[in-house]
Amino acid sequence: MNVWLNRFRTYDWRNMWPKVVAAVPVIIFLLIPVFTQGEIVLNMLILSGIWAVAAMGFTLILRTGQFSLGQAAFMAIGGYTCAILTVVLGWPWWWGFLLSGIVSGLIAMLIGSVVLRVGGIYFSIITLSLTEVIRIIAQQWESVTHGSRGLITTPPPNIDLGPLHINFMANSVPFYYLTLILVAVTGLVFWQIGKTRMGGTFYAMLANQTLAEHEGIHLMRYRVIAFTLAGVFAGFAGAIYANYLTVISPLIFGLWQSIQIMMMSIVGGMSSLVAGPIIGSTVLYILGIQLSRLPIYGISQLLYGAVVVLVLIFLPKGTGLIDLWPRIWRKIYREVEDYEIPGETRQED
Amino acid sequence: MAFLELDDVTKLFGKLAAVEDVSFNVDQGEVLGIVGPNGSGKTTLINLISGYYKPTRGTISFMGKKISVLRPDEIAKLGLVRTFQSNVLYEKTTLVQSMLMSSRLQYKTSDIESFMETKKYKDEHEGVVGNVLQTLQLLDLFNETFRPASVLSHGYQRMLGIALALAANPKVLLLDEPTTGMNYEEAQFVVENIKKINEQGITVLLIEHNMKVLLDVATRVIVLSFGSKIADGNPHEMMNKPEVIEAYLGTETV
Repeated sequence: MNVWLNRFRTYDWRNMWPKVVAAVPVIIFLLIPVFTQGEIVLNMLILSGIWAVAAMGFTLILRTGQFSLGQAAFMAIGGYTCAILTVVLGWPWWWGFLLSGIVSGLIAMLIGSVVLRVGGIYFSIITLSLTEVIRIIAQQWESVTHGSRGLITTPPPNIDLGPLHINFMANSVPFYYLTLILVAVTGLVFWQIGKTRMGGTFYAMLANQTLAEHEGIHLMRYRVIAFTLAGVFAGFAGAIYANYLTVISPLIFGLWQSIQIMMMSIVGGMSSLVAGPIIGSTVLYILGIQLSRLPIYGISQLLYGAVVVLVLIFLPKGTGLIDLWPRIWRKIYREVEDYEIPGETRQED
Repeated sequence: MAFLELDDVTKLFGKLAAVEDVSFNVDQGEVLGIVGPNGSGKTTLINLISGYYKPTRGTISFMGKKISVLRPDEIAKLGLVRTFQSNVLYEKTTLVQSMLMSSRLQYKTSDIESFMETKKYKDEHEGVVGNVLQTLQLLDLFNETFRPASVLSHGYQRMLGIALALAANPKVLLLDEPTTGMNYEEAQFVVENIKKINEQGITVLLIEHNMKVLLDVATRVIVLSFGSKIADGNPHEMMNKPEVIEAYLGTETV
């Protein structure tokens, strides 16, 4: 009993407050459907969550020093896998969902093993074209994907577990929790990676690739790991997207979506693996919806880009909205940071 | 079978031979100096040994294993670690962060074990952090452990470069002009540390221009000129050989 109590003695109580305050939104997210069943709010949160998962994958790949514009491609692969398995082949829904992530991951691993060898700008261009290639395959492979007509997806079957009766078709609430679970799992996995040794290995590859290689870090192995993980979760996100919208077609996962994912990561903060993409995707998704109501054609993309540029100008050095958080805390505590003192050199004794 | 063996190693860039038919052996535990005027191929030689370049001809073997076909990270895993003449460091990270990122080779636990944060990994991690702090203390960097490398003076940044190489558990340390830009005291400090490192059993290959440093610490010296080896032996003897003097200073014209 005393040993158990001792754990609390060594807990970092002073730094507890930021974590407590950060836990509040998490609890709010869990309880939102209790307070509002409004379709608009839930719709917005579900779609923000789906894009957040894709954006987290982008940031993970970025953490290894590569810039992937192919996340939308893996969403498409996941979405189509789930739709084809459940609708065309009649598989049980949850197996189709599971396979969507697995198939996306396998394809990511195969393509990554080849394409990540070149790295750099060539890799980015190839992932960009990959997005378009997947779209074209979806359009032309009519026998499987029904081409431009798209597929109408079947929703998950009702779940009846004792007192629990979940009907996915009734309203958005079940999809909300499904998305929340996916966001949470993705976030926890990526956060754990960032926190431990592998995250340091990734960052070493980003900070100085040559030095990392000479310190024994096998570049390809870790690049492929990051690319595959990003692909797996993007696949799951794509499957939820396709099933929530009840339709999948080649038009919904294209070049613009890949770029949007990149912008969500940038605006949220490229230095953050979990919270940044979530904030970035929520902000940009809401912005996108509001802007698309404007009557002038093309203005939404223009203003969208303008917002991204403004964020890049006003929040310096690869930081994004997420970095406002420590700034706020610093103002509250008035701590003096030791870091950026220009020109100071070591005092020689 | 020598510890580290270079056989007729040649590196051509187009028609230019940066290194031409260089052969020598390195014995375990020695401090081998590599000298020569600028452009003689010293850094290219280090690049070849560390795997950054592949030799056009010839082979490099370490403990009987042919390493000239391996990747740099595979060669580092075998125990050959280098520093860089231009002193590459990890940007924007604190000293302890850079050291931890460089100490990947000190771990025996797998990546999955580190992801799951198993007890075995946590224990190993504690040991590695201890080693890192010890290395920082050895090289007089301990006071700046939590500060970014940019606050260090040039001399201490080069010490950090050596520290990062030590973090990778080397059996052979390849130092590329470690005392560049250092004053007398800093260079002496480097010399002391090279001796300490060598006493721990690490073989050292040292490219140097500073003759005082070289004569103080090297047990043997190889002299390169225009990509070829022109002398190999005792440091004091080498420096007085006419070929070596000619390589550095040229011949007298009448």
